[in-house]
Amino acid sequence: MLTAFEDTAQRYRRRVYSFARYLLSNREEAEDVTQEVLLRLWRHQEGVDEERLGSWLLRVTRNACYDLLRRRRSEAAAGISASLDEEDAHEVASSEPSPEVRARDTDFRRRLLEALGELGEPYKSVVILREVQGLPHREIGEALGIPEATVRVHLHRGRRKLRERLREVSPV
Amino acid sequence: MNRHEDRMLCEESLDVLEAYVDGDLPAEESLRFQEHLAGCPACAAELALAEKIQRELRTLPLPDCPPGVLEKVRRAGKGEVVAFPRRERTLGRRIAAVAAALVLSVGGGALFLHVQQVQREREQIAQAELEVRYALAMIGKVSRRTGLDLRDQILQKHVVSPTARGLARSLGVSPAPEEPAPGRR
Repeated sequence: MLTAFEDTAQRYRRRVYSFARYLLSNREEAEDVTQEVLLRLWRHQEGVDEERLGSWLLRVTRNACYDLLRRRRSEAAAGISASLDEEDAHEVASSEPSPEVRARDTDFRRRLLEALGELGEPYKSVVILREVQGLPHREIGEALGIPEATVRVHLHRGRRKLRERLREVSPV
Repeated sequence: MNRHEDRMLCEESLDVLEAYVDGDLPAEESLRFQEHLAGCPACAAELALAEKIQRELRTLPLPDCPPGVLEKVRRAGKGEVVAFPRRERTLGRRIAAVAAALVLSVGGGALFLHVQQVQREREQIAQAELEVRYALAMIGKVSRRTGLDLRDQILQKHVVSPTARGLARSLGVSPAPEEPAPGRR
């Protein structure tokens, strides 16, 4: 069981973590979610179809992120941790930056990350999974429980929303 | 092409732009789109922006999770009690700051004079209470995730109550009644 888990975890941990990282815009919370998701994998992997393992993990990840975002909102409303994530809001995707990545971290990219962070669902998940992670439409559809055609519609709308946000600032 | 037709074509081109970027547009429509772009700088600029966004998105890094996360999962899977996630940055600093405030307050005898001097200001007392509540809320949040009820069983008994009593004694006032933890479900 350990070997099977190790193989699967090694194969999917980056996908799970980076998805959570972009969804939450917070490194620590992304680690928490990854830990939670991989623990679920440990406990339930026997019952998950191997072919659908990737989409199952993404679905569990997204649900865990949603739970966390809901908790974050309710705590913010109670005045507890409204500013907990501010420091990470603009730091997504640059946690372990190579010099090259730093050099490319342009103003446009920062604004793009801001816009992505503020993008609503389901567009945000679709854009991350398709454009950032490069997953096929079919797998995204399985993960989010929507048809492939809907994935494309959400993707186009999501990118259009990003374009609207970035139109004013872009030196194309 | 008259002005009206050109405007319509702009709207149409914006409708098909994303599909064009993905290469999903049929050849005939792609050709019409390209012909429109040749005479429409605004739509050409939109396409350039769409392509730039896609390019940037596709070159964003995919950060990997720290190895420690996997190790904790292994241990938890084997039935070990795993500590709540390490807080290196935001939470760590906050808890460290609040812990310092707690230590300062709990110190009692050795720090009594200092505490007495500092804590007489009501605003500072209110601030200290706020920080303690914040710390408890954050610890409660973490403990809920791990199933360890640190807040109620340990902190309340050994830290919060003695601190409140110590503060009340040093100030010569009655201790404030305890409030339920904010954000607790």
